[in-house]
Amino acid sequence: MTRITLALVAALLAVPAAAADQTASAIKGTGRYGTAGCGLGSMAFGSTPGAVQILAATTNGTFGNQTFGITTGTSNCGSGVFAAGTKNFVDANREALAKDISRGEGEAIGALTVINACENSHAVGAALQKNFKSIFPSESASNDDVTKAILDTLHGDAALGCGRS
Amino acid sequence: MLGPLALALALALASPPAPPPADPAYLGELVAKARALRLAEDPGWLKLGHWRPRPLGGWKSEADGAKFFRARDGKTDPAAELEATLAGFLDATPRADELDDAQCRFPARFAFLGGRLGFDLARLPPRRCPRFEDFYGKIRPQGVTVVFSSYYLNNPASAFGHTLLRLDKAPEAIGGKHFELLDYGVDYAATVDTGNAVLYAAKGLLGFFKGEFKYYPYYYKVREYGDYESRDLWEYDLELTPGEVALLGAHVWELGGTWFDYWYLDENCSYHVLGALEAAAPRLDLLSHVGRAVVLPSDTVVALFRNPGLVRRVHYRPSIRTQFEARARRLSGAELREVEALSRDPAAPLDPATPPDAEAKVLDAAVDLLDLRHARELIRGLGPKAAQDRQALLERRAALGVASAPLALPVPEARRPERGHGSLRLGLGGGAVDGQGGTVLLDLRLALHDLGDPPEGYPPTAQIEFLPTRLRWTPRERRVDLDDVALVRIVSLSPVTRFDARPSWKASFGAATVRDRGCDRCVAFASELGGGLAAALPGGLDLAATGDLELRASPRLSGAGGTGWRPGIGPSALARLRLGSRAVLLADARWRWLPEAAPRTTWSWGGALRLHLARDLSLAFEGRRQPLATEAAALVLGYF
Repeated sequence: MTRITLALVAALLAVPAAAADQTASAIKGTGRYGTAGCGLGSMAFGSTPGAVQILAATTNGTFGNQTFGITTGTSNCGSGVFAAGTKNFVDANREALAKDISRGEGEAIGALTVINACENSHAVGAALQKNFKSIFPSESASNDDVTKAILDTLHGDAALGCGRS
Repeated sequence: MLGPLALALALALASPPAPPPADPAYLGELVAKARALRLAEDPGWLKLGHWRPRPLGGWKSEADGAKFFRARDGKTDPAAELEATLAGFLDATPRADELDDAQCRFPARFAFLGGRLGFDLARLPPRRCPRFEDFYGKIRPQGVTVVFSSYYLNNPASAFGHTLLRLDKAPEAIGGKHFELLDYGVDYAATVDTGNAVLYAAKGLLGFFKGEFKYYPYYYKVREYGDYESRDLWEYDLELTPGEVALLGAHVWELGGTWFDYWYLDENCSYHVLGALEAAAPRLDLLSHVGRAVVLPSDTVVALFRNPGLVRRVHYRPSIRTQFEARARRLSGAELREVEALSRDPAAPLDPATPPDAEAKVLDAAVDLLDLRHARELIRGLGPKAAQDRQALLERRAALGVASAPLALPVPEARRPERGHGSLRLGLGGGAVDGQGGTVLLDLRLALHDLGDPPEGYPPTAQIEFLPTRLRWTPRERRVDLDDVALVRIVSLSPVTRFDARPSWKASFGAATVRDRGCDRCVAFASELGGGLAAALPGGLDLAATGDLELRASPRLSGAGGTGWRPGIGPSALARLRLGSRAVLLADARWRWLPEAAPRTTWSWGGALRLHLARDLSLAFEGRRQPLATEAAALVLGYF
């Protein structure tokens, strides 16, 4: 077989394989999945073992709000938990978050509102938008610094009512 | 009936590490009750263990991880597994790893058996399960949503779409969107250990990959699918009772600790998502509604709708591409020119008379365009210029100080995946070949969609086919030809717009009957790869032109330099005219230079008219001309 034939055969068989794994790992960043922060869903199991709780839920359906008071951000919350939840969220959602903050609106702002147990996502959006340049001073600002600036904005303004409901 | 002692003995034999239970008398009572209730034959129990009937009688679980079973032959014996599980629940032996304890490893079985047998908790050893409790505390399910991620041709694993579960922290999506990012997604995927496409296909088709359930915050999936792969997501909220939701959350924990052989075609993500749902809600009838040979992600959605009332609400989450297109539609021609200018230079001046609200719309569209073009570079940190431009645009946008209105897009009803035609296609017809007389044609395709099929529910400019096959019987010559078959055939058209100049491409891999002077109608291996450009013109006309490489190979073929290998290179063209949603005209032509082969060139051109009589019934009229054959045919196509 001639060289040109071999080249064509090689080109045909070398269909590039999936590069999806690289993207997925890039999205996951450090690979640390969200910890159980306030907004990320912490819930105390109290004195009853977990398996028994599931049994209770499937037999009489009392499992849930009544038992655990899992309204947003009210169980097991503390400033350390806000920071951990916010940092995890920033790690995975930084690009979307920067965009939503520039717009003063969006799903990522809604999520930050929940994680930090704030009262009103519109007010949160406006406050973050106003502070865009201190939160994202450059495209290379570290996620730690971005997280700290967000926490300063949210918890520094009493009018936002974050983490006190 | 066995006495308690004999029972304990039997159980000790069935499950190797079985120290004496805390309350042997209670174990005997529970086992007796379970036998009296024939609980091991209960669909709820069988579905929790993923046991399926075997063709010659008996049961076999699809789970392949040994730790999913407490009994030695639990994989094939649901009754032994039930009794060994009960013994495990009563076993008070301290365990270093909570996963070695039955209560902690099998909370859903505990709930099911406890509910049916009426466990007296005072007679069971109390167990704390910190890891399970931490998991359940994170996912905290109050509702369940099935998520369908639409077709993605650039990755063979996702070409047919993907299905996952979302465990919702609220029974209803709050405000339609705001808080779902903090829910947890659960999916079943193959643990892929090769980057080689051929190996990938072989291992995936033959069940050599391990499939595992994993969970993660839903926002990972939104970022991955919506932002980086630009795939629309369809979310189906399910009407489940609080008990079923809790059982699903607990069962996901059980599944997370085992694995299944991953079969790309049938026992795949879609199949196991439905299996998990049935385990939590045995009243549902889902798996019986998907195909036996091939289970597609869109079949998952169809199966949900076969259970009346199960889907409570449908949400549509537009990808970054869909979002950008929606923003662009709201802009004037002058504003679109500004968007284009901003995407090149973030400091480009805007019309000074523009009010801040209108300026915000232009800037928002420009950032979306940048994200669309540079998604991967931005996330992987490989595009410093794109990242700087983006930062500058965002600063400029934030400085306006006005909030953007939420982008509320109507649900594109015609694209709903459950509205699509069936994926299996069968066709029967007849025609004539010039000089050879009448022919009978048999057409078969395992999946999924070609450019001429009914358009509803599928991406408008994509063709994804698995095992399209056509046989031709020529009675006068008493011969049957394998006209054409492909393992996979993909055509991905991306119409060029002012903002988007991605190439279009196509690929196929299979065999076809050669109908030129290279051989006398021999069947040759046939593979093809092409790239080019496409355009979508007004009036439903799509055009594409590609440059192609192809390879034909057969011992009977007079290929390059006298070998049986015949590479070819040349252009091809494709046109499609949609006449409403009920009819479509297709035309294609190709020419090939065949270096060092005899003959030196070959060509083919043809056209087709498809009439869609109903969602699952079409008529096709086709004509084709090749160097040694001129053919006309008509077929009836049915979709199943």
